[in-house]
Parts: sequence; C-alpha cells; structure tokens
Amino acid sequence: MFNQLFSDIGILWAKYGHVYLTGIANTLILAVTATVIGCVIGFFCGILQTIPYGLNDFFLKKFLLRLLRIVIRVYVEVFRGTPMILQAVFIYYGMPYFFGVTFKNIWTVSILVVSINTGAYMAESVRGGIMSIDVGQFEGAKAIGMNHWQTMLYVILPQTLRNIMPQIGNNYIINVKDTSVMFIIGFSDFFAVHKMVSGAVFKYFPSAFLEMGGYLILTLAASFLLRKLEKKLAGRSDYELVNLDQLVMTAGTYSLPRDATSPFDETNRDYKGETK
Amino acid sequence: MSGHILEIRHLSKTFGTHAVLKDIDFTVDQGDVTSIIGASGSGKSTLLRCINLLETPTTGEILYHGKDVSKQNPSKYRAKVGMVFQSFNLFNNMTVLANCMIGQQKVSKIGREEARSKAIHYLNKVGMAPYINARPDQISGGQKQRVAIARALAMEPEVLLFDEPTSALDPEMVGEVLEVMKALAKDRMTMLVVTHEMAFARDVSTHVVYMADGVIEEEGDPKKIFTNPENLRTREFLKRILNG
Repeated sequence: MFNQLFSDIGILWAKYGHVYLTGIANTLILAVTATVIGCVIGFFCGILQTIPYGLNDFFLKKFLLRLLRIVIRVYVEVFRGTPMILQAVFIYYGMPYFFGVTFKNIWTVSILVVSINTGAYMAESVRGGIMSIDVGQFEGAKAIGMNHWQTMLYVILPQTLRNIMPQIGNNYIINVKDTSVMFIIGFSDFFAVHKMVSGAVFKYFPSAFLEMGGYLILTLAASFLLRKLEKKLAGRSDYELVNLDQLVMTAGTYSLPRDATSPFDETNRDYKGETK
Repeated sequence: MSGHILEIRHLSKTFGTHAVLKDIDFTVDQGDVTSIIGASGSGKSTLLRCINLLETPTTGEILYHGKDVSKQNPSKYRAKVGMVFQSFNLFNNMTVLANCMIGQQKVSKIGREEARSKAIHYLNKVGMAPYINARPDQISGGQKQRVAIARALAMEPEVLLFDEPTSALDPEMVGEVLEVMKALAKDRMTMLVVTHEMAFARDVSTHVVYMADGVIEEEGDPKKIFTNPENLRTREFLKRILNG
C-alpha cells in the first residue's frame, strides 16, 4: 500500500519535481512579501488610528482625524469580512472597469491583494497590541517632549511588535496556505501545481500527499524561525555592570552649564572624563 | 512677574461633574523646591499633570516665563519641564542608557556621542552609571526611579515635577530616591514635588503647599506650616499624618 504510494510519489517527483519546487518558491515569496507589506500597513493604521485629539483642538483637525478613523474602520471591516478569493477577482477584473488599468504582471496584483487583506487583519492586531501597552509608556515619552510619531516609533511600536509576534506568525502561516486561492486569477502557487500535475497524470492522492508534506514543512519552518525571532526580540536575560572608568567619555563633547546658577556644576568638575 | 518660571492662574479641572481642582493659584520661582502635600484625592497629582499638559485644564491658565503654555508647542515645553512619575514609566524596550539618550537625540536633536556623555553624567549623579546595560525589568524599583530622574535630568529641564516619586517603592528603597532628590535640591534645581514624605517636605523644600478637596488651603514656609499651621484642616492633616 505504502510501497505503491511512495513509488507514485517518486514518479511524480522525478518528472515534476522542479514544478513543485517552483510552486513552493512562488508561494513562499508571495506569503513573505505580503505578510511584510501587510504588517507595514497594519502598523501604519495603528499609528494613524491612535493620533490623539482633544476637545480644544481645531475643528478641521478633529474632523480629519475622525474621518481617518472611519476610513480605516471601513477598510478593516470590508477586507476582513469578505473572502480573499473574491477580493482577488474584484481587484483583478474591477480595475480595468473603473480605472482602465490592466495588470500585466500577475505578481503585482497577487501581492497587492494578499497584502491588503493581511493589512486589514494586522491593523486590528496592532490596535490591540497598542492598547495592551501601559499608558505610563506614552506619558513617559510625552514627558520628555516626544511627539506622537516619535512616541510611537521609538517606544510603543517596538513593544507592540514584540507582543504581537504570535499574531504575525499566525498571519504568515495563514498566508502560506491561503495564497492558494490566487489560482483564481492565474497565479501558479504550490497548490496550482497540484491541480496541473494531477490533471495531467491522474495521480490525485500521491500529489496531494506531497502537497500536504510541502505545506507542513513550510509552516513548521516558519513556526521555528518565529520562535527564534521572539527570543531574540526579548533581549538578553542578563547584563553586566560597567566600571565607570571604562565608560568612554569623549573629551570636549560635554559642555559645561551656561551660567553659575545652573544646578549641575559640582560633580561635573571633578568628573574625570577619559578618552580611550 | 519676570522672575517666575511657572505661574498657575485660576486653574480649575473638572472630570464630568466632579471638580478636582478649584481656582488654584501659585507660582514657582528659580531654585524653589515646592512640596505639595495633602490627602489622597485632594487633586495634587492632577495639578501636576495639568502643569505638564498630560491633562487639559478646564479653565485658567499656566504661564511659563509669562507665556501661556496652552498656546505653545507642547513638546518643546515638556522638554523644559521634566516629570518623574510614581510608576517610573521607563521605556521597557530600551536599556538604562538608551532611556536617558533617546529624548536628547530625538527631541533636543543632540548628537549620539554628546547624548551618551550626558546620559552617563546624569546616571552617575544618581548612582546608576554601572547599570547602563541593564533593562528596566532587571533593576529594582528604587533603581528604576533613580534612572527615571536621570532621564528627566538629561533633558536639562528648568523645572522638574515629581508625582509621588516614592509612593510605589518598598520602604527600604525610599531613602535612596530621597537622597538623590535632596542632592538636586542642594544644587538649587527647581522642583515641584507631590509627596507623602513629610520629612522631605519639612526639611528639604523651601515652600509647602497644602491641598484639600481641590483647593490650596495653606501655603508658605515649611517651618511655619509644620510647627504652626494657621489653617484648621492643615493642622488636622499634619497631626494625623505625623502622629500616625
């Protein structure tokens, strides 16, 4: 029974191995690219959605910010609430209708569709990630004079990224599998290879078996790499105390306070700054 | 008028129908160490948060060198009026050193090397220079608060606001933070401190403000307030807290 299966797979691989591999490569490239772009979209939506406005702000600013939030909301709901297979059809066949744009390259439209779809999910993940950050982190950043973008870029989003790594992993794995629906517009991913090959040689099950294994390898490898990345983002668990003499103090870069009433003049004088 | 760094004029703040601050008036001059004392819920922290624009006052104004702060760029103003929080609020994604550099580099646009020197200078001042490579979750509460003070100092602010800096600390760590604040006071740093540490208010500050139910009941010289308070509520508060 298994002998038969493995010999069939052997035959398939001998003849179509490179086709399967090309399919895997296509799937991988599409999933990785779209997940990365989707994350960027998600983080961008996250920053825009959280721009604060107060009651005393200028009317136009309040109006625009509210409008922005509504637009993002609509984007999220539409692309999260409809099947990606239909989104692909809509964009691929819809663009020529409305804008006269036809896609010459199937890659462009595939990456576009999957990215936009992933972005909608990521926008919600990022929003959740930002909400989970302690309000003190925002206040600490504001208190030293950071504006919204600086606060987000240097303080909040790095912490958000760490917190939502599992969701990014989820999205990536979903993308590896779900990019198979892009066959509807003619993208030849890993699954499209199965349809083509099994149609040609009538070995449905051996091909499906091969596909299953291939997808599992792709997703398991992703899980493994993401765990590694998570650990890396968590940083070192220990630290070393630094002897003050070893600290590099570049001579002349620290300027003395401008006037004598300025409070920090004492320790500065006996501070032995040394250059290495 | 010209001598005042900060002037609080008829400041009120209401949350819904609840008036937290009612017609607050006081000034902060160069070198003042003002302690704001009072029971929990008296509006002390809200006052401090209003001064740093973390809360928007309902009415009244805050003048910084005679200019209304609500009409200024909040980032520039905040860089000059530092704040130290009860819960430290160190950036969890950065080392101690990076915490003290990021504001200088991104807000004050200071070069990397100079920012690093300054950060180490102020960390040394609070006794935390050996810990530059540690992350906030690896150091104790007292150490975190000292780093937070260094982070605020690294911006070289004109005024430093302290919002109950020792309230979240274990008793044995309160001392190390108060020592740092004492040293700053000795250096004539202008400070505005919301505190429950009565010894600090009495011995270190130059000015004491007693608040109750959103109003300033009494303010003045710490010696006078602690030995001979005029206001009945002040007297009761101090009796309760000093004998308790």
